[in-house]
Amino acid sequence: MGGRDTDIVLLDEKGIRCDGRKINETRKVSIKAGVLKNANGSAYIEFGENKILVGVYGPRDVHPKHLSDSDTGILRCRYHMSPFSVGERKNPAPSRREVEISKVIKEALEPAVMLKQFPRTAVDVYMEILQADGGTRCAALTGASVALADAGIPMRDLVAGCAAGKAADTVILDVNNEEDQAGQADLPMGYMPNLEKITLLQLDGVLTPEEYKKCIEIGIDGCKQVYEIQKKALQEKYFSKGDNN
Amino acid sequence: MSNEKKRHVIPGEVIVSGPYRAEQNTVLQGDKVLATSIGLSDVHDGSVRVIPLTGGYYPKDDDLVIGKIISHSAMSWEVDINSCYSGMLPATDVFGRDFSSHSDDLSSKLRKGDLIATRIVNSDKTRDPLLTISGRELGKIDYGELVEISPSKVARLIGKRGSMIQMIESATRAQITIGQNGLIVIACEDSDGLLRAINAVELVEEKAHVADLTDRISEMLELKSD
Amino acid sequence: MGDSLIIDQLKKTQILDLLKEGKRADGREFDQVRELTIDVNVIPKAEGSARVRLGDTEVVAGVKVQPERPFPDTGDKGMLICTAEILPIAHPTAETGPPQPNVVELARVTDRGIRESGMLDMKQLVLEKDKSVIGIFCDNAVTDHDGNLFDACSYASTAAINSCKIPKYEMQDEKPVKIEDEFIEPPITTLPVSVTMAKIGDHILVDPTIEEWGIMDARITITSNSDGNVVALQKGGSDGFTQDELVKCAEISVKVGSKIREIIKQSSSGED
Repeated sequence: MGGRDTDIVLLDEKGIRCDGRKINETRKVSIKAGVLKNANGSAYIEFGENKILVGVYGPRDVHPKHLSDSDTGILRCRYHMSPFSVGERKNPAPSRREVEISKVIKEALEPAVMLKQFPRTAVDVYMEILQADGGTRCAALTGASVALADAGIPMRDLVAGCAAGKAADTVILDVNNEEDQAGQADLPMGYMPNLEKITLLQLDGVLTPEEYKKCIEIGIDGCKQVYEIQKKALQEKYFSKGDNN
Repeated sequence: MSNEKKRHVIPGEVIVSGPYRAEQNTVLQGDKVLATSIGLSDVHDGSVRVIPLTGGYYPKDDDLVIGKIISHSAMSWEVDINSCYSGMLPATDVFGRDFSSHSDDLSSKLRKGDLIATRIVNSDKTRDPLLTISGRELGKIDYGELVEISPSKVARLIGKRGSMIQMIESATRAQITIGQNGLIVIACEDSDGLLRAINAVELVEEKAHVADLTDRISEMLELKSD
Repeated sequence: MGDSLIIDQLKKTQILDLLKEGKRADGREFDQVRELTIDVNVIPKAEGSARVRLGDTEVVAGVKVQPERPFPDTGDKGMLICTAEILPIAHPTAETGPPQPNVVELARVTDRGIRESGMLDMKQLVLEKDKSVIGIFCDNAVTDHDGNLFDACSYASTAAINSCKIPKYEMQDEKPVKIEDEFIEPPITTLPVSVTMAKIGDHILVDPTIEEWGIMDARITITSNSDGNVVALQKGGSDGFTQDELVKCAEISVKVGSKIREIIKQSSSGED
């Protein structure tokens, strides 16, 4: 949370946000499954101005061998921002922020993937942020779930991501970049809609206990909306009538 | 317990509730059976499974697969069977029981890059699956073209009681060896027949989920004949 | 050190059986914190410091203050950066070299907990707008690891910053110069306190030991400030939480946090 001073009006008298959205409206989300030839599973997601490409390889051999687990497959995740993805060029070397986000996303996907049937292997999830505009970790998580399903990795549920937050003293859904810089709180969330469990949750900013409850509710609602788009992406690839291809 | 109509499912979707047996690609959560794969749900006789439309090949005992020799040690060959686990073909399977690592050289029989039609003998997941090439229709493949399809489409390529593959073979006069791991070897003396067989296999993979696939393949094969 | 501590099966069974009876292996209540002692000013050369013992976990935090160029878009605010590292002496599996992801996470969560709470009014730490500001660095060193490093680092950082002395600087010829023997009180607005809970099955346990950590399904660290508001949160581990559990955890964090806040206040009282 930047808490930076800004001239942008985050919320006007009519309850409209700086990008024209209402307080409980997510940005436009579109997902395409199976976009890469080599990866076992893949997905391309646009979440507002975020553009993210995810590739999944596996289950596959683990090298070096000491990293593998004889009882179960392991999940490895890499969240990485391309140098050209942000306003000021980002150094391509992984930053501490990317290391932390990679771990948080891995722990958001682990409850969903079922890797006990593939001991001594690894499933690698690579998320490349091509263009960033706030909420990249939720969008990357969303794309990763679709790519894992596309790869045929057995899963208990998909994980959908969406952030809740607070700006201009109001609880809002899906915080964009300006709102993240100048707003008061950002709560990224990852949710398994059928199992009803939250698997990614972080907070920066100040929320009263009431606002916290409200953010969680509105966040779950946002995740459910994103889930519908994940479903649609998989249905389009796998279940559409082939005749007109 | 009724038999439900086949449905398209994605991971996490509830297929049925109630006392059903959760079989392939499903998981029991409380009293609900959830899909764990993208595919078609299949409910009958009190059990539920999902026929997957994606995913890799996981070795099963007795499967016939096409493998590629990757390397060898003194006692065995390591074989790429298009799976997350490599297969192991012991030297004794080829040289016999009196195999001796001093006098018998593995590379005299099978070298890196050779393709073999092989059967999985023992796929216990704590070590690499054991293979054999002693058997009818097994052994080194000297001739033909290798085509790869998604393992989840192999059943469709074979068809009910082999109907789909037999139709393609007779229309093109090709011999087709199908590995359960998605690797297919197509051999044909006639280059036109070879091409038509390859196209038919690729079409099956692309349109595996379409209902009238058999008609479309048959149409495609007949159109090209004189 | 990785998260790969393997707890033996007998111990695991013992812990789970006790939980079913509503008990913990060390006899604590589910919402009870281990014995906590905080000593400040243990490193006199640093501008502030604290040593925290939480059960057998020990962390030493030191605060260093020095003038810095401000960040480009916040020229009207001082700088506050917290770090954390697990020293190789802390545990047989702790490694030297570049930090593992779990250590990166520990450092970043500790930093956010202090920074997001607005503990220090950064606007009061400016020497010359856009040119020179006061930089406050709070570095945590874990010296002994028996679980729950998140909270130990949080308490050490809060106590060290709360009791630090900021040297007085004056701009002379466009450069900041330290005025010897003169200090200013840190502009404290609130005292952030984190509370970490482990989820094992349906049980929520506050201040997990290293063994509870090794068998837990998931964990959550929630930081609250003196007003009882939630200022930072991090979920970790390989399972998820239900909506109700999340609300309950925040309530526990605020309640337990307020007791710990008193201990932190007492550690600094009696200082000049």
